[in-house]
Amino acid sequence: MSAYVPINRGMPLNSLSLHQFSTSTVLLLMFAFYGGTYLLTLGIRKKKEDADAFMVSNHRVGFGIGAASMTATWIWAASFYAAATSGYTYGVSGPIHYGLWGALMILFIYPFGRRFRKLAPNAHTLGELIHARHGSSSQLILAFSNVLGSIISLMVNFTAAGALVSVLSPLSFQAGVIIAGIGVLLYTLWSGFRASVLTDFAQLVALMAIAVVIIPAVFFAMGGPSELVAGLDNLTAEQANFFSVDAILNQGAPFFVAVLAYAIGNQTISQRLFAVNEEHIKPTFITATVGYGAIVIGLGMIGLMALTLGIQPLDGDMNNLIPQMVSGYLPPVFIALFFVLVIGSLSSTADSDLSALSAIMMADVYGKNIARGKADPKRMLLVGRLTMIIATAVGIVFASFSLDILVMLVFVGALWGAIVFPVIASCFWNRVTNAAFTTSVLVAMVTFCIARFELLPMSGLTALAFEGLASIGGGIIIALMVFGFLGRAAGLIAGVLAMLAMLVFATDFLRDYTVLLASLTAYGTSTLVCVVMSLMSSQRFDFDTIAQRVGDYDDAMSSTGAGSDTGKTAGDRLANASR
Amino acid sequence: MTALFAFYVLIWPALTLGVLVLICRAVLRDRRDARRESRELV
Repeated sequence: MSAYVPINRGMPLNSLSLHQFSTSTVLLLMFAFYGGTYLLTLGIRKKKEDADAFMVSNHRVGFGIGAASMTATWIWAASFYAAATSGYTYGVSGPIHYGLWGALMILFIYPFGRRFRKLAPNAHTLGELIHARHGSSSQLILAFSNVLGSIISLMVNFTAAGALVSVLSPLSFQAGVIIAGIGVLLYTLWSGFRASVLTDFAQLVALMAIAVVIIPAVFFAMGGPSELVAGLDNLTAEQANFFSVDAILNQGAPFFVAVLAYAIGNQTISQRLFAVNEEHIKPTFITATVGYGAIVIGLGMIGLMALTLGIQPLDGDMNNLIPQMVSGYLPPVFIALFFVLVIGSLSSTADSDLSALSAIMMADVYGKNIARGKADPKRMLLVGRLTMIIATAVGIVFASFSLDILVMLVFVGALWGAIVFPVIASCFWNRVTNAAFTTSVLVAMVTFCIARFELLPMSGLTALAFEGLASIGGGIIIALMVFGFLGRAAGLIAGVLAMLAMLVFATDFLRDYTVLLASLTAYGTSTLVCVVMSLMSSQRFDFDTIAQRVGDYDDAMSSTGAGSDTGKTAGDRLANASR
Repeated sequence: MTALFAFYVLIWPALTLGVLVLICRAVLRDRRDARRESRELV
């Protein structure tokens, strides 16, 4: 490590440089982290893992491990950087507008999660539930959106590792990406989800302990509350206002729109939902909500501290804010702790993405669409592990070449928005059909692209029509959130009121905010098409059949004889018989 | 004002500490329950 030169307390600094570790120090930290994590997984390793446990453990993960895993998975490296950026950009309310909505994504999915679990207690993925409800096309749309999301997440996390290593040491960006990729793969490959949730706990404990120390340490090292209050003069009126409209419209509102979409479109969340002991779903989700919010908002405060001190981000890169503050005010041991904090957060999310991807390929692709009721658990495990290896390679390549994923991000965001209503409605309303699900998502994607890329001029009647669809979208977001906690009547009233308010305020206004218009249009279109097509249908679905159609793979094989044609889950046999 | 801002910044690490203690105690309980029922923790 290089020599540490302390910086005077409270000294206003326009630019703080970053501390530099030697190559051997960074390598030691990374090998210690990944080596320790790998050793931890040896304690649960079985010579012969079974396919179900590889995907969701035993469906009886306890409250503590479940809450830890949910929190650790939801916190990724970008959470800290973005929260600090939000604090630096929007001032006093900035960290809240990042962390609060991110936390509420976990909370708002909980009432729907309980329904998913009730319908399919032995599911491994949300796609399996949708397969039992509708069939392959709807299931594959959901699986596809999950796969894209997890690949993007993997790439972002590996990128964060590369960036951290390259700014804090002489090592290259690519070296950081490769070490992180191989490190995560190494400890997740054999035991899959079981390894992921166990290591999540250890990583979260380290992450929380470091956050508890680092936030107050930076706060008091910079001069404490008096220095922060004195620095408020550096803020603009909007930045100093806790109820800043600027922060709400630019940071809070886009996050609010995405609250349900992120949670529905993310297999890492549903995987934990199906793994946790059913009795502990509520405390698990509430604890993860509070835990995520506290850590992320707390680290976001470092961005606010930097703003009040008038610090400029190094090279104009906002991601340097936290490392700069830690480097500037604390001794190197804290910078090492910060390093571990970021590596821990990105690794816990990356191992969850690998587990999610493997479960999707094992259950949704191989189990339901290739083996078609004759899934061999051994082959499933092979599919899962190969998926992890390929996904890691893809993540490393995408991250190493810093590929532009903006279009992919936009597309995934739209897809997630488009599937929210059809997925939730399919689990509560017996009239939703496979055709309604699939058509509504596809039409929503088309209208999204028209609005997002302005394929039609957004003026006159066209703009009015899209603002109308977006108003329905705004209404349905509110309706679903209220419905989840307060029931159908309250949801309906809240949704109609929100839609009317949107029609009044969004008309002739929303067309100027292309991203928001397009996102809300995706929600609105899929809802409208799904409802109309479902109302036209005479089909009525019996929800009780879902639990019978979705079962464990290993139990079915052991009870029927491995490799035989009769080696199907009870659910698959029933599903085949009913078709 | 100073006290208010001190509270605003420090409440988050305090909450984090609270959740950390809660999770650690719960994991110990999970471990005890798993041993009593002769099953694995995960």
